[in-house]
Amino acid sequence: MSEKVQTVEEKPSLVPPVLAGLLSLVVPGLGHMLARQFRKGLVLLLVFLSAAGLWIWRVSDAARREVGFTAMFKKAIQLQPILLIILVVLVLLYLLIAYDAYKTAAKAKSNSFLLWVFVLASFFILGWQIGEIRPDVLVRDGKNSLPLLMRVLWPWEKALYYPEELLIGSADVVIPCTENAEVPPRVVEEGDPYVTVTPNCGDLSEIAGAEGTKLRMVGSNFAPNDETEIWWVDQVRNEFRYRYGGEYVKIVTDENGSFEMDVIIPYRVIPTTGGKGYAVWQVEARQVASVGEPVLSEELKLSVEKMIETIFLGMMSTVFGVILSIPVSFIASRNLMSANWLTKTIYMVVRTILNIIRSIESLVWAVIAIIAVGLGPFAGILALTVHSIAALGKLYSEAIESIDHGPVEAIQATGANWLQTVWYAVIPQIVPPFVSFTIYRWDINVRMSTVIGMVGGGGIGYLLIQWIRLLDYRSAGIAIWFIAFTVAILDYVSSEIRNRFV
Amino acid sequence: MLEIRNLTKIYDDGTVALHNVSFTVPDGEFLVVIGLSGSGKSTLLRCINRLIDPTEGQILWDGVDITALQGDDLRRMRRKIGMVFQQFNLVKRSTVMTNVMAGRLGYAPTWRSITNQFDEADRKRAQSALKRMGITDQANKRADELSGGQQQRVGIARTLMQEPKLILADEPVASLDPVLAHSILQHLESLNREDGITIVCSLHYLDLVQRYSTSVIGLRDGQVVYQGNKKQILRMTDAEFKSIYGEEAERMGGISGDLAADDEDSAGEEATE
Repeated sequence: MSEKVQTVEEKPSLVPPVLAGLLSLVVPGLGHMLARQFRKGLVLLLVFLSAAGLWIWRVSDAARREVGFTAMFKKAIQLQPILLIILVVLVLLYLLIAYDAYKTAAKAKSNSFLLWVFVLASFFILGWQIGEIRPDVLVRDGKNSLPLLMRVLWPWEKALYYPEELLIGSADVVIPCTENAEVPPRVVEEGDPYVTVTPNCGDLSEIAGAEGTKLRMVGSNFAPNDETEIWWVDQVRNEFRYRYGGEYVKIVTDENGSFEMDVIIPYRVIPTTGGKGYAVWQVEARQVASVGEPVLSEELKLSVEKMIETIFLGMMSTVFGVILSIPVSFIASRNLMSANWLTKTIYMVVRTILNIIRSIESLVWAVIAIIAVGLGPFAGILALTVHSIAALGKLYSEAIESIDHGPVEAIQATGANWLQTVWYAVIPQIVPPFVSFTIYRWDINVRMSTVIGMVGGGGIGYLLIQWIRLLDYRSAGIAIWFIAFTVAILDYVSSEIRNRFV
Repeated sequence: MLEIRNLTKIYDDGTVALHNVSFTVPDGEFLVVIGLSGSGKSTLLRCINRLIDPTEGQILWDGVDITALQGDDLRRMRRKIGMVFQQFNLVKRSTVMTNVMAGRLGYAPTWRSITNQFDEADRKRAQSALKRMGITDQANKRADELSGGQQQRVGIARTLMQEPKLILADEPVASLDPVLAHSILQHLESLNREDGITIVCSLHYLDLVQRYSTSVIGLRDGQVVYQGNKKQILRMTDAEFKSIYGEEAERMGGISGDLAADDEDSAGEEATE
């Protein structure tokens, strides 16, 4: 190149192309630096070092228990084959940097596109590995969780509750048969289920295998065509379910609510008979029958109650937030506070405080508020109010800052005083943005109040997180549906109001 | 009579907007201030009603030093000085009627005005102001629904509510087309001639200046570089023009003093008719 055509940007490389390439193999990016592309070289060096560093961290993390690099590497590759892919990409990147350095030093019109693609690719794959992204898990386990998800998506079976009643009929059995047994007579009211056994005494089964006395058990006045369980109650009121051949015995009543079956007195270590020489047992037939009309379930009622609480939680915190943030917004507006250094200082301080408050999430404020006032909706209201003041204060003050100064000037020019000027020139201009921001905030607050309960701040979030932890997905589904309904309705209402005012 | 004495305005950033400006405006005058953008026209007008506080100098209006007024005295002075703006400066979301009534704020008690309780006399005054401006049927529309020319008429109606003795008009027609410009300036002219209101108006186009003004001052870089009465304006020479607008400026429109000098009487008469 002749001296004449050289410009500042086209100074020759400090090293020959081949050397630049080789130096880049020693320290990635060094070739570029010496070829007068210092910044690019530095970026490549930092990129390569950080990518390589991340790879080493992930390898040592994957094979934590191995000792020595080779063992670690082998184990890590075996556990996480993706680490091998990252290694390949990094090696290719390493070679590409060297090649690019060679091209740069040779002043060839090189296209670094491929190089940057590899840079992005290496970080993307690293991100994939660090984020433990596994679509196969999503597909496989996702399929298994479908029944659970269905319970969340369609939880309404749990919205109704069918009241149930336990029907019991019982008869006394004297063990063993004896003449002088004192059995109090039973009184069965008209219509109640009852059971008789014949005979009404007998012997227990023996542990060796000999069966006890077989009794004929007849029951009536039960719910028709329903499953009935047989239970024994011994003389010390221990209840146990009757088994035969290892299986629990069940019988289905006929259309009149009656049944007839044989039962054998089971084996039991006899507790003391109290010196009487005999014991009185009961044999019972038990039915769980649903009676009457279905009613709204407790979960549904709770969800409705907590949803109302949630809406009011959002509403109250918006009201408090608006009331408190209006004065704050005036002292946080640059155009109103630029009179002298004192007001400017107040402006700066208020703005800084607002920014700090706003950068802390409402959930964190809720945890802090719970420390102060305990669990419950008041803590949630406090948290959302604090966050609303900061957020609305900023939005309002920006609305005040962006008003047209012309009308203010014109009203001042008529001889109006400060209050008249604000009333006639400032307020009409800030009403639409204030209304809009307020509704927006109300929207956010109701939405936030649905989750603020998860940390104990009241509202439906408390129920939701509890039901999820109890794996009661149907109830959780009901809560989620209510949240979705409310937010959708709120969305619609707020956009309507906004259209009216703005 | 309005008397400006050695008026200087230096902004906080050091810009000298006005430098030692002095002139007098007899009552009933239609004074036009000309000059390039940034020559200090707006600053001058806003100093007169103290929307901007001058750094030095005095403004005497019927012997009272405006620059020394504070608080209620300042507001009482302001309500006798109407102001019309280039961008109309109406409160866009309020109705035309509310905008016009706002002109009466300087007279109304604070509490009654913010609860919108103006007395019957004020309402009648507003009706007649709207009628005079020919916008009676627009009274209940929102200000931003009106066209530019109509908005400026609302602006003038607002100043009429002040029953002003002086109207400051800051480039009142710069946002309007030529036909509307004439219409607005004719309204100002009628206020000037029929009601005897002194007008101080800044304008850009020389043909408008020559048509409406009774006297002119030219500002350049915050200093008065030209002063003339009606006759002298009509004969403004290219040299005078360039002293105001700079050497590179080229005249367009209006009547050149160089031509007028050739045929003085005929040119002069044509223009005044």
